[in-house]
Amino acid sequence: MRIILTSLLLCLSIFSFSQKDPVFKFGKINVEDLQKTAYAIDSSANAVVIADIGKSSIEGNNKGWFSLIYTRQRRVHILKKGAYSYADIEIPLYKSGGGEEELSSIKAVTYNLENGKIVESKLEKSSIFTDKLDKNYTLKKFTFPNVKEGSIIEYEYTIKSDFLTFLRSWEFQGKLPRLWSEYNLALPNFLGYVFLKKGYLPYYIETAKERNSMFHIVDDGGAHASERYTFSSGVVDHRWVIKDVAELKEESYTSTIDNHIASIEFQLSEFRQPLTPKQIMKTWPDVIKELMTDEDFGKSLTAANNWLADEMKAIISGATTELEKARKIYNYLKENIICTDHSALYTKQTLKNVFKNKKGSVSEINLLLTAMLRYAGIQANPIMLSTRENGYAYAMYPLIRQYNYVVCEAEIEGKKVNLDASYSRLGFGKLPIDCYNGTGRLVNELTPYAIEFSADSLKESKLTSIILTNDEKGNWVGGMNQTLGYYESYNIREKIKSKGIEELVKDMRKSYSQDIVMETPVFDSLEKYENPIGIRYSFKVNSNDEDIIYFNPMFAEATRENPFKSADRIYPVEMPYTFDEVIVVTIETPKGYLIDELPKPVRVKLNEAGEGMFEYLLSESQGTVSLRSRIKISRANFNPEEYDLLREFFNLIVSKQSEQIVFKKKK
Amino acid sequence: MRLFFIFATTLCLNLIAQAGESPYAVKFIPEHLLKNANIVKRAEDIQIEVVNSGESLLHYKYVLTILNENGDRHATLTEWYDKLHEVRSIEGNLYDASGQLLKKVKNKDVMDLSGVDNSSLMDDNRVKVHSFYYKAYPYTIEYEVTTRFNHTFYFPKWIPQEYEQLSVENSSFTVITPADYKIRYKSFNYKEEPVVVTEKNKKKTTWQVKGIPAIKSPFAAPMWNEITPAIYLAPTDFEVEGYKGNMNSWLEFGKFIYSLKKDRDQLPDEVNQKVQQITAGISSNKEKVKALYQFMQQSTRYISIQLGIGGWQPFDASFVGKKGYGDCKALSNYMYSLLKAAGIPSYYTLINAGDDSDDKYLMDAFPSNQFNHVILCVPLQKDTMWLECTSQSKSAGYMGGFTGNRKALLIDEKGGILVETPRYGIKENTQIRAIKGIIDAEGNFTTKINTSFKAQQQDDLHEMLAYLSKDKVKKVLNEELNLSTYDIVDFKYQEKKDELPQIDEQLDLFVSKFATISGKRLFISPNLLNKSTTRLNTEEERTLDFVFGYEYKDVDTIEIEVPQGYELEAAPQPVALKTKFGSYSSSIKLNGNKLYYIRTREQYSGRFPSKDAAELANYYEAIYKADRSKVVLVKNSTSTP
Repeated sequence: MRIILTSLLLCLSIFSFSQKDPVFKFGKINVEDLQKTAYAIDSSANAVVIADIGKSSIEGNNKGWFSLIYTRQRRVHILKKGAYSYADIEIPLYKSGGGEEELSSIKAVTYNLENGKIVESKLEKSSIFTDKLDKNYTLKKFTFPNVKEGSIIEYEYTIKSDFLTFLRSWEFQGKLPRLWSEYNLALPNFLGYVFLKKGYLPYYIETAKERNSMFHIVDDGGAHASERYTFSSGVVDHRWVIKDVAELKEESYTSTIDNHIASIEFQLSEFRQPLTPKQIMKTWPDVIKELMTDEDFGKSLTAANNWLADEMKAIISGATTELEKARKIYNYLKENIICTDHSALYTKQTLKNVFKNKKGSVSEINLLLTAMLRYAGIQANPIMLSTRENGYAYAMYPLIRQYNYVVCEAEIEGKKVNLDASYSRLGFGKLPIDCYNGTGRLVNELTPYAIEFSADSLKESKLTSIILTNDEKGNWVGGMNQTLGYYESYNIREKIKSKGIEELVKDMRKSYSQDIVMETPVFDSLEKYENPIGIRYSFKVNSNDEDIIYFNPMFAEATRENPFKSADRIYPVEMPYTFDEVIVVTIETPKGYLIDELPKPVRVKLNEAGEGMFEYLLSESQGTVSLRSRIKISRANFNPEEYDLLREFFNLIVSKQSEQIVFKKKK
Repeated sequence: MRLFFIFATTLCLNLIAQAGESPYAVKFIPEHLLKNANIVKRAEDIQIEVVNSGESLLHYKYVLTILNENGDRHATLTEWYDKLHEVRSIEGNLYDASGQLLKKVKNKDVMDLSGVDNSSLMDDNRVKVHSFYYKAYPYTIEYEVTTRFNHTFYFPKWIPQEYEQLSVENSSFTVITPADYKIRYKSFNYKEEPVVVTEKNKKKTTWQVKGIPAIKSPFAAPMWNEITPAIYLAPTDFEVEGYKGNMNSWLEFGKFIYSLKKDRDQLPDEVNQKVQQITAGISSNKEKVKALYQFMQQSTRYISIQLGIGGWQPFDASFVGKKGYGDCKALSNYMYSLLKAAGIPSYYTLINAGDDSDDKYLMDAFPSNQFNHVILCVPLQKDTMWLECTSQSKSAGYMGGFTGNRKALLIDEKGGILVETPRYGIKENTQIRAIKGIIDAEGNFTTKINTSFKAQQQDDLHEMLAYLSKDKVKKVLNEELNLSTYDIVDFKYQEKKDELPQIDEQLDLFVSKFATISGKRLFISPNLLNKSTTRLNTEEERTLDFVFGYEYKDVDTIEIEVPQGYELEAAPQPVALKTKFGSYSSSIKLNGNKLYYIRTREQYSGRFPSKDAAELANYYEAIYKADRSKVVLVKNSTSTP
């Protein structure tokens, strides 16, 4: 169960807060503040954020419209050298089209305690650098002067922005522990925003108070005289505070930590009176309709696309069925078009140019795929989704900017197939693991709908079979036959491509716990990207005529490390898939030896529901040992409360799979 | 007759096709240049023209055939520029496998991005980037770039085979200078003399290579300069942003560096007073240095700002005194000034810092700008102290793996002189560990581990302790130990900050199922934390020497109390290896219910011929196996019910 708090409603609950709550006036630092060397919230922290306060408001500007005013004040106590990097500040500013963001004021002061007195060192304007990253982004950078262990640093800046759609979000939680994290939003009634909240921490203060305010707009309308408008509107002052926020640390098996951080985001939803009322955030059907007619998304899908005529002839020549055509188109794109960006929703170039230039983003490539399939008479639609790395998307709100990835759903001979042509070694009908992150949206002109992509629906199945027998010369020889899981196969293909097959084989050999001589393995389906890889080879076990042979029947297949190393866990475990690993082994007792001892069979369940199962069944019959070991996990996400269970479960697996069979020489 | 006629016509067409064929067609690549290669450098022509001592032009053109996607990252053109170096033009073409032109570079496709280094707050580096993003392999790219340097302080080097898995069909390097201009060069693996032509008052010197097969750099490889041809250039007289110098000798080069830092040692009054205060009661110069170094560490931090000549010239000591920060040059100069105020002379010292073995090499007979870092050298009566001024935590006098074991250039008003920085060898780089613990009836191991890390063996740990909070250190320990399931019960670190620093670590661990219990047997792999992971590949023939730079010694002693009622069934034989590469020994014995394990490993530095490959592989293999050996204990028959 993922706990995400969301609310569309304006919570007008007003409760008073006590007089004791601190006020953080810029520059008002006490000697006592500077004397502190550690804070109860995390006594080992290198630095603590004493206060982090953001304020956003909206005012009329002289471009005939409104500007967002964002002010941030932050006070940090640097306790150890390890935190000096927090004294280096970067403020990104954006510009695009006619709009820009402007840093309208900035101040920064370092406070040190010297001989019992507070000494201030102010940032000089000449020490602020401007780094032009590219045509859209500029960084303002500075570092605080005279930072030492024990310094308090404080800065405040204001940004004036033309982009009403980028009302700044707020993260209450982050890299350092925070004593006081506050966000204020003065929202005029004529603008509607949806609030999106994440995380598990309760608000210490959450208030909304209404007042009236005047707005002035000047329109410097070029040739004609400038016009002025003044009107009054209700404004709601929102305030959110979370106190004593501990740092949230990234653990393994996390899709992205952003899903768990306490934060609030805003999405512009409508213009209201006295503005011309306009719904900005639409319903899903409206949003999809717009996407389908948007030049940077779906418009080209409904166009005739006759520029494809000649190319398509060549690409699908010889194909007769829908499936053959679809495969040819899919393979053509994979082999010829390079993906330059795996996080993109809108297109930046026409599909024709994507085709011609042979490069494009994931959305461009998969929209092109959709267009080409349609051109070939195959029903195909794009699906937009949010990758694991990008975080969960709120399915109920039609918020386009949550989505960062496009794949294609084709209906081929009555069967629905998901396709992604942006990775050259992905198979027909397969999507990258990163796509299995909740709800996606099918985009088409008729019946758009939500599609669930859950990690629970992915199953990695791996089957290994090993037979070890005595050959006529008395050597112990084995045969290994293995079918890997799909995503393991994908990773192996990538590894072969980057390091070569020799490296892979070398690693396979090294992972044996026994001293073996391995024949050259045969790989099945290496180039058949939609199938899992099969590996087959034979090997010989070297022996030195020992009196006792200790032999691990798991060979190279034992789970040697507990994947859950950390002793505790604060937020859910999110595995990329469920899995089922089966190893079947038959071992003939080596010539001249007797079985002295065998590991005891076990079978355990992870929980009552049996969502995890481990069995290690071992038996002996006429000198032949048979083993069947299976690890099955049928759920991908686990609560923190279930963490200990998982950790213990894998501890048992590691321990059991390291056990040995003991053979003794006949006397 | 008719038959013959057809034959003749076909032949003729073939000839025409060949004549019209592009020289960049992939089929013209000789077979031996495809082996091991991701990229073939088809042609390269680099021309440097020294216009005068204050200006040089660089014109280069190269053609690369990218054979597979591992070569893609080198298919992107990245041209760095800054205030001392401007890019004048970029042109380029993309060809398919048959050498047919597919596309040309358009100016709008060349991105102009910030190139500010991650470790810098601000510098003036920018970068022009272009890529064709093509992926139908093999394909060929061609770029031609013209740039201008408004100085001759340093020149581009020529290493035709720039990286692994690149073969070179043709590459040439030409330097054009005024006939009376003296340029110096140093060559590696280039046997012949360059071709020199003089015409119209210009001297043209050309080096050229053909047909270099691709290589993969193997384990313990010698430095890249030993493997492949390289030419380094250096000026005699040069000029940069109005500063003039001469590089004929280290002495002269040092004079130039001195001129950049001269008169930048004025401290603010309050800092001067502070120096007097700090040093007042101290009589020994060494103690004064330590006290002032500590003061510098507490009151400053490393912030890199490199703009224009600022890439070579330190900020004033007064700037650092006022702002409390600076880069390696500024902080070293500041420390120099602090010492000067206390009446202690010291030397601003240029060095090539880095942990790789290639970084330790200096072309000592070829005075030139081979440095990337500045430290401070303080000569004292008995010994010399070396100070790394960018670190807020290092011990006074300790260099470590970043700046130790190499040559550096001391600077004073008389010029520059090369000296050796401290050497850290097998006696210094030690790791001594003692493990004591009890295994319970389930095989769980409760243990106390004491480890002393010294010199270079403590470098990484020192950085971790300096930058991470205790909570984060615990998180690292929680995940980094090479054990299956374990809990950190407690841990403690104590640092002895000395010229040879030492960190003592105390670790209390609970290792779940450390011993495997199968029926009546108990299996223990006693080497808990120090298993060698190196295994050499013996299948490919070794052609290059083995070079080892890092010396160390590890000693592990382990005492394990096992449950009552077990006796030894099998234990590995003691191993004792003494080789020219190093020595290794490990032994196990059971005494009552106590298991004792001792392991010692010494790694020597040195250079060994390729014919030692098998011997070396056996040595590593023996260690690998011994480190994983198991002890088998079996329940006494008497104790079985």
